[in-house]
Amino acid sequence: MKRSRPINLLLGLLLGTSSFPIFAHDPIFGIGPHVLFKGGTEVALETHLERAGEEKESEAGLELVYGITGDWAAGLELPYAYKKEGSESSNGLADVQLFTKYRFWRQDSLGLQESAAVMFAANLNNGDEKTDPKLGNGANDFIGGLTYGYEGLKWYRWASVRYRYNGENDASFHAGNKTLVDFVAGWRPTLPEYKKADTVWLLELNTEVGEKSELNGTKLANSGGVESFLSPGIFWTLRNFAIKAGIQIPIYSNLNGSQEKSDFRAKASFEWHI
Amino acid sequence: MKKIIIISLFSLWTNFAFAAGTQYDMRVDGLACPFCAYGIEKGFTKTEGVKSVDIDLKNGLVIVKTEEGKTFTEDQLKEIINDTGFTMKSMTEKPI
Repeated sequence: MKRSRPINLLLGLLLGTSSFPIFAHDPIFGIGPHVLFKGGTEVALETHLERAGEEKESEAGLELVYGITGDWAAGLELPYAYKKEGSESSNGLADVQLFTKYRFWRQDSLGLQESAAVMFAANLNNGDEKTDPKLGNGANDFIGGLTYGYEGLKWYRWASVRYRYNGENDASFHAGNKTLVDFVAGWRPTLPEYKKADTVWLLELNTEVGEKSELNGTKLANSGGVESFLSPGIFWTLRNFAIKAGIQIPIYSNLNGSQEKSDFRAKASFEWHI
Repeated sequence: MKKIIIISLFSLWTNFAFAAGTQYDMRVDGLACPFCAYGIEKGFTKTEGVKSVDIDLKNGLVIVKTEEGKTFTEDQLKEIINDTGFTMKSMTEKPI
């Protein structure tokens, strides 16, 4: 069953729109409880690339984060997107995201930090809807999440859950809400030393459960479903600079109706703490 | 005898002239990565009178040296460490 082009485009917008800014030593695709020191600023350049059949999207974003307290940070992401679907392509400023994270629990011991945080993000509807493919989805979307992290000198582990509530745009299209569940393990091959380069290898298991989208109140058959990814990644840091990169490889897909399965997604970032 | 007096006076003078500041050795919990520990360095170096900050991740040690006349109370040190997202367990101080 072939989808109509407008619906294809709308569904295409859902690709990769569940991201949350990377914070310090957090997972690459999932989230972790890390925040920023009080009065600190994080400047990050992030890029992601994804492909699902004929739909290709790449996006570069500038993230700015401020440490309000030692356990609370807030910021924004300004994404510039390049989208391509078949022979059509568009580029420009995509939907801006405002976000905040509060670490409500922290248990410190020698060389180990366990903590938990809640996060909230809002995606604005500033992205241009007149381009083809569209750069914005024309609705305000909201993301809430809960995360736990165990961070030691040798091993890391994280778990998180996020729920994304998508708003309805002027065309009465409501993208399906999404639940994201992540489990992540990290391993540092060499014990770290301050002022020396540090490497941590990551392996994430990311699962996304999407509800069906609605158009004029009618559920769309070719929308929603479940996708799981196995995602190897790396952190490399030197003092207040960090480079992170990872790739999501689909390992399970049960999408409703006829939809393009994800081929892969990749993300890389450069962070600077000042 | 004269030589001993001169050496003693010189020794006293050097103590007064160069014995400046304080060294604080803090045992800090939660230190697991150097990138995150940068916040501690930043937290102290933006404070006037701090000369240097060294961090030993494996032993959970933060060593802060101050300039002459600059001192911290234990509560002040705890607050700075807490603001960077870690926990100070104990500290010792000595003149440098």
